[in-house]
Amino acid sequence: MTVRSYFLPRSLPEAIGLLETHGPELLVMAGGTVAMPLINDGISLPGAVMGLRRAGLDTLEVAGGTLRIGAAATLTQLLAQPAVPMLREAARNTASWSIRNMGTVGGNLFTPPPGGDVAVALLALDAGVTLAGPRGERVLPLADFFTGFLSNQLAADELLVEIQVPIRSDPTLFIKFGRKHANTPAVVTVAMRLEWDGNVVADARIALGAVGPHPIRAREAERLVVGTSLSADTIAVAAAAAAQGCEPFTDAIATEWYRRRMTGLFVSRALEQLAQGAEGEGR
Amino acid sequence: MASTIVAFELGGREVEVMVKPMTTLQSALRDQLGFTATKEGCRQGGCGSCTVLVNDEPMLSCLLPVEDVAGQRVTTLESLTPTQGLHPLQQAFLDANAFQCGYCTPGMTMLAQALLDHNPAPDRGDITQALTGNICRCTGYGPIVRAIEVAAQAMHAGEEGQPR
Ligand SMILES: Cc1cc2nc3c(=O)[nH]c(=O)nc-3n(C[C@H](O)[C@H](O)[C@H](O)COP(=O)(O)OP(=O)(O)OC[C@H]3O[C@@H](n4cnc5c(N)ncnc54)[C@H](O)[C@@H]3O)c2cc1C
Ligand code: FES
Ligand code: FES
Repeated sequence: MTVRSYFLPRSLPEAIGLLETHGPELLVMAGGTVAMPLINDGISLPGAVMGLRRAGLDTLEVAGGTLRIGAAATLTQLLAQPAVPMLREAARNTASWSIRNMGTVGGNLFTPPPGGDVAVALLALDAGVTLAGPRGERVLPLADFFTGFLSNQLAADELLVEIQVPIRSDPTLFIKFGRKHANTPAVVTVAMRLEWDGNVVADARIALGAVGPHPIRAREAERLVVGTSLSADTIAVAAAAAAQGCEPFTDAIATEWYRRRMTGLFVSRALEQLAQGAEGEGR
Repeated sequence: MASTIVAFELGGREVEVMVKPMTTLQSALRDQLGFTATKEGCRQGGCGSCTVLVNDEPMLSCLLPVEDVAGQRVTTLESLTPTQGLHPLQQAFLDANAFQCGYCTPGMTMLAQALLDHNPAPDRGDITQALTGNICRCTGYGPIVRAIEVAAQAMHAGEEGQPR
């Protein structure tokens, strides 16, 4: 191991100060469940590392209709919160108990596909992210945060400090399809939120994971379901658009072809379930 | 590469290790303190053989810089084992033939202990859910799940003061 210094800042200002002093040479690590395996294997050889476990970024609270999640809150903390059921479902479907006790919500936004299951749910929930650096803080929609495979809007001297999730009562659905029932990389992950106006879909969020360079929105499919009552025909067309529009890849888990097929299938199943739920509620 | 001294609680005792930056808890336990029950499988977070409890919660010692547990309470299989005889989980693993090579056993046992701390009467589903991150390559999971069921009953009965 070549790490020369390991810092455990006790506050956000201290953490930002360290980033300023050491620049891009300083590797940031929260739960370490992505960073440590790479260091253990010698794939990542950072000179200096900053751990976030003591930086006070692990709070999780509801304020003014918003769930505010500290970037270093663990997946276990997310599983325990009652405010946003879909996030519980996403956490439950992520990794294993020990990993959830270590891995953080913030770290999930930096996890390359097929990881990033919680990020997919956050995308469907219109989450916002707060980035902080020496020049102060900025908030942006999560949808604008991702810019490519392993790339995002975070500047070298910035930290992700918080994720905000508006608390709403819209019907949501989270489906992670993998090769096993639990603790498995995704073939595809689908997170959906529909806003209804009577029996018409007023707005839709369809987020997909493991079928693109980062968690993505199926915008064409969203457009196709808005203004409809989710007839079988609409669902078929929207599911086909989601399958068409995603950018799956081949890895040890699944082929590009299979991921695309399963994207269509699970978008269609999710829409069917949400349509039935709406009928059940007499919309 | 200045070393630092890290102090933490290990099985009820205060211990100190002198470590290079980002030494893993796994390495500090095994290589410096001689606590070799905690195993080293993948060092990738993928096998669970290095599971220890930090403040009673299961974590993977291969992914944990020892600096992160300064001042915290670490429990390994050594501290679960009574001075005389066996812990009910160990006895149940033995009775159920829940190990062959035994490499996964310490991790399985620590995870099972954490599960029983949270849920003294887990059903089969609770047990299999809890165990998803711990891999056994030779025994198979049937005997392990059965051993945990039996241990849960024994520990439950023990707590209620009934004979085992
Ligand atoms: C066995 C195993 C199974 C897994 N299964 C799943 C799964 O099913 N689904 C899934 O989505 N993921 C899975 N993961 C991946 C991982 O555990 C999660 O994505 C977790 O949420 C990552 O968080 P972390 O805090 O551990 O990340 P870290 O390893 O701490 O961080 C990774 C990188 O993200 C950046 N980073 C993290 N936090 C910040 C911050 N606050 N500010 C700036 N940069 C930051 C840094 O560059 C850091 O190096 C699995 C991992 C393992 C080892
Ligand atoms: S050695 Fe830690 S999980 Fe495999
Ligand atoms: S007993 Fe050999 S790996 Fe489980």
